[in-house]
Amino acid sequence: MSDSNLREMQKTGAGAEETLRLIARIAVPEGLEDRVHARLLAEPRQARILAWPGSSGWMRSAAAAAIVFVVAGGGWSIYSRVQPGMPGRPIVVSPHVGAGGAFSEAGVVRRPLTLQGPVVKHTAANEKPKLAAKSTTPPSASPSLIVSKKSAAALASAPAQ
Amino acid sequence: MEIPESAVQERARSHADQTRADEDILAALVSQYAATLYRVAFSVLRNTSDAEDAVQETFLRVLRRREMLGEVRDQRVWLIRIVWNIVLDRKRRAKTRPETDDVADLARVLPADGLSAEARAVAAQHHAHVLGCLEQLPAKEREVLMLSAFEELSGVEIASVLNITESSVRSRLFRARNLMAGLLNHARQ
Repeated sequence: MSDSNLREMQKTGAGAEETLRLIARIAVPEGLEDRVHARLLAEPRQARILAWPGSSGWMRSAAAAAIVFVVAGGGWSIYSRVQPGMPGRPIVVSPHVGAGGAFSEAGVVRRPLTLQGPVVKHTAANEKPKLAAKSTTPPSASPSLIVSKKSAAALASAPAQ
Repeated sequence: MEIPESAVQERARSHADQTRADEDILAALVSQYAATLYRVAFSVLRNTSDAEDAVQETFLRVLRRREMLGEVRDQRVWLIRIVWNIVLDRKRRAKTRPETDDVADLARVLPADGLSAEARAVAAQHHAHVLGCLEQLPAKEREVLMLSAFEELSGVEIASVLNITESSVRSRLFRARNLMAGLLNHARQ
């Protein structure tokens, strides 16, 4: 890229992809492949299972003995603190029974007021005269039994079947 | 059931042969594609040491999955895809890096043959400005535009790296160029 090319590129704004192309052709640092090879060689080839430092078995035995000792010691320390025949400590519970043998109020200071229920008024005695004034029919007669005098006479004169 | 010792030895030998063959393939891949992968990594990270680290990480991943080497059809695209994912992940994590580092790296690394010292500085600033505009593009368009700059990658291969269709690559590239031209014009005005 020369000076004139650069000026031209900046004027036209066509340098966007040219910049990317320059980056895409960038020089690779020397020894890149060697370094990659070296890194790959340094990488362990196979999954390693926990390896013991010594090949002899005495270290393994010592480690196993130490584990057994720690587990057994822990179990014994728990056992020595909590004996199976130990008497339980009584727990004192304060009585919460009220004076009349009922449940106590448990320290409640204010109780909500009881709602006032509906008040039943016996109004039958007052309404009797009103009903009497409205209708002349006796209260025992039902509307279906009320008939006119004419039809009553017709019913009386009809021959019995 | 008891396995005869000869069978065990034979299996171990065949396993060792297979491992050696895989390592030979891997060594060949390093020799062949390390440079391409480095350029792809640098185009995103714009830092020489980060790019080299990404290349090494790519081949380490291949080493860990070397049993897959036989199944891969296009090893070059497969490797580019691995390094692409690595560098995008790294870039996402290291977003706080100052832009001045990018400009300084570009001034040092980009080829500037036949330029005076002053022109070289101007060129570096110009490239930094272009890359600044590139950062403003949506990620999908930016990625396609960046990969399209690699002459060795065809549209099909870019589609394979990004796991999209070839027509998507074309449409995204068209949008990216338009957006980029708009951004550069706006900056110039």
